[in-house]
Amino acid sequence: MRRVSYSFPAYPQVVNQVDWQIARGEVHSLVGRSGCGKTTLLKLAAGLLLPDAGTVTVDGQALRKPGSQLGFVFQAPTLLEWKTVLDNVLLPVTLQRKPLPADRARADELLALMGLSDLGRRFPTELSGGQQSRVAIARALLLAPSLLLLDEPFAALDAITREELQDDFLRICRLAQTTVFFVTHDISEAVYLADRVAVMADGKITDDLAVNLPWPRGRELRYGAPFNAVCAQVRRAMDGGGTC
Amino acid sequence: MLSRVMLGRLASLGLFVAIVLGWEALARGARVSALVLPAPSVIVEALWSGLRSGYFWPHLLHTGTELVLGLALGCATGFLGGIVLGESAFLRRVLFPYVLVSQVVPKLALAPLFIVWFGFGMTSTVVITALICFFPLMENTLTGLQQVEPRKLELFRMLGATPMQTLLRLKIPSGLPVILAGFRVAVVLALVGAVVGEFIGGSKGLGALIIASQAMMDTPLMFAVLLLITVLGLAMYQLAIGLERLLLWPHLKETTKE
Repeated sequence: MRRVSYSFPAYPQVVNQVDWQIARGEVHSLVGRSGCGKTTLLKLAAGLLLPDAGTVTVDGQALRKPGSQLGFVFQAPTLLEWKTVLDNVLLPVTLQRKPLPADRARADELLALMGLSDLGRRFPTELSGGQQSRVAIARALLLAPSLLLLDEPFAALDAITREELQDDFLRICRLAQTTVFFVTHDISEAVYLADRVAVMADGKITDDLAVNLPWPRGRELRYGAPFNAVCAQVRRAMDGGGTC
Repeated sequence: MLSRVMLGRLASLGLFVAIVLGWEALARGARVSALVLPAPSVIVEALWSGLRSGYFWPHLLHTGTELVLGLALGCATGFLGGIVLGESAFLRRVLFPYVLVSQVVPKLALAPLFIVWFGFGMTSTVVITALICFFPLMENTLTGLQQVEPRKLELFRMLGATPMQTLLRLKIPSGLPVILAGFRVAVVLALVGAVVGEFIGGSKGLGALIIASQAMMDTPLMFAVLLLITVLGLAMYQLAIGLERLLLWPHLKETTKE
């Protein structure tokens, strides 16, 4: 993204001259207080909103509207209650064409990777919150997007479920070499998942911190001293950035 | 021990028996004229003889046909109207005031006009019934389509869905509970439309039979017909509930499990 700005009518600049780059295959996260423009920035990156100024570029192409090269996971799972889990995962395909056996196999494979292999025929309301989030992620990955955008997808889950989901999520993204931009308000989540953390305040990116922790990451790292040091660093950066 | 549900049902049944017995006692004991308040036993007799001789059946069929035709016509146009108004903000602004005015006019008051236009008989009654059913379905379809979660609309935009796909695969399925609630209201109103339509312009049907029994001062017959209308209404309502269960079972999944 280059010098991207966006404002809603009658509001000050929600996103103000943001520059950000993500290299292929990297996971970046964006932290900031509620209401400082994180979600708006993500929607700009997704093409759901078009910037007032500046450009968003994906794979060298200027982004004009959402497309299949992008996957998006919302704050809530946003599943269709009247479709089975499998049909929910297949939705990106069924909106374009009739699903082929290969698509079904791919959906089954993603559900298995997400630990939901037996639940394809169930309906979303029969699943727990964590399982619903897993379905939403599987759906976003179905078309193998080159860039996956997530908007606090785990915010509503309990701590242990969230840790499990983070680990599974990382494993799948590393497997597929997916580029990820992850918005969250949870500092430890941001640090744990990412190669790089952006700190946002008042519509601007105020800090850009590299996370030099080894991959793969696991439970020991999550509660170790180096990890906490990085978290503290991010926290200080957020304090310096002013309030929203 | 009886569960609370069973106890409630038993009490409800007991109340029914008490009312019928009390009514019977009142009608016999107080020597109320059968013209004013016939005893339940007399009504049941009138009902039974009418059913056995085949006197009621053509009328029941007539009213049932009007009901179904009017309901189908009114619901189809109401549903389509709701979709058109829901999808186009421009048409909504242009047409909604007219729709509203047309619905505030009491439709039954228009019945004499329809008789002038369509003549005595089935057509007028079907048109009145359809007009009465139109509004609840249109209103609920409109509401249902507009109640879609904004996030789901964004999801469909994200997946590159066309407006038609968004309508058919997102807005209508997610609005279905509200639309079917409108259908339930329409079913009940349709019966009113059909019967009252026959009061005014019919020579056949249960409504016409009530008018005829009034002219003949045959009050037991009138009560018997009222009973038939009630049963017809209950049957239609149960059908509507059944349809709702059938179409909404994925929506209801969570509640049925508990």
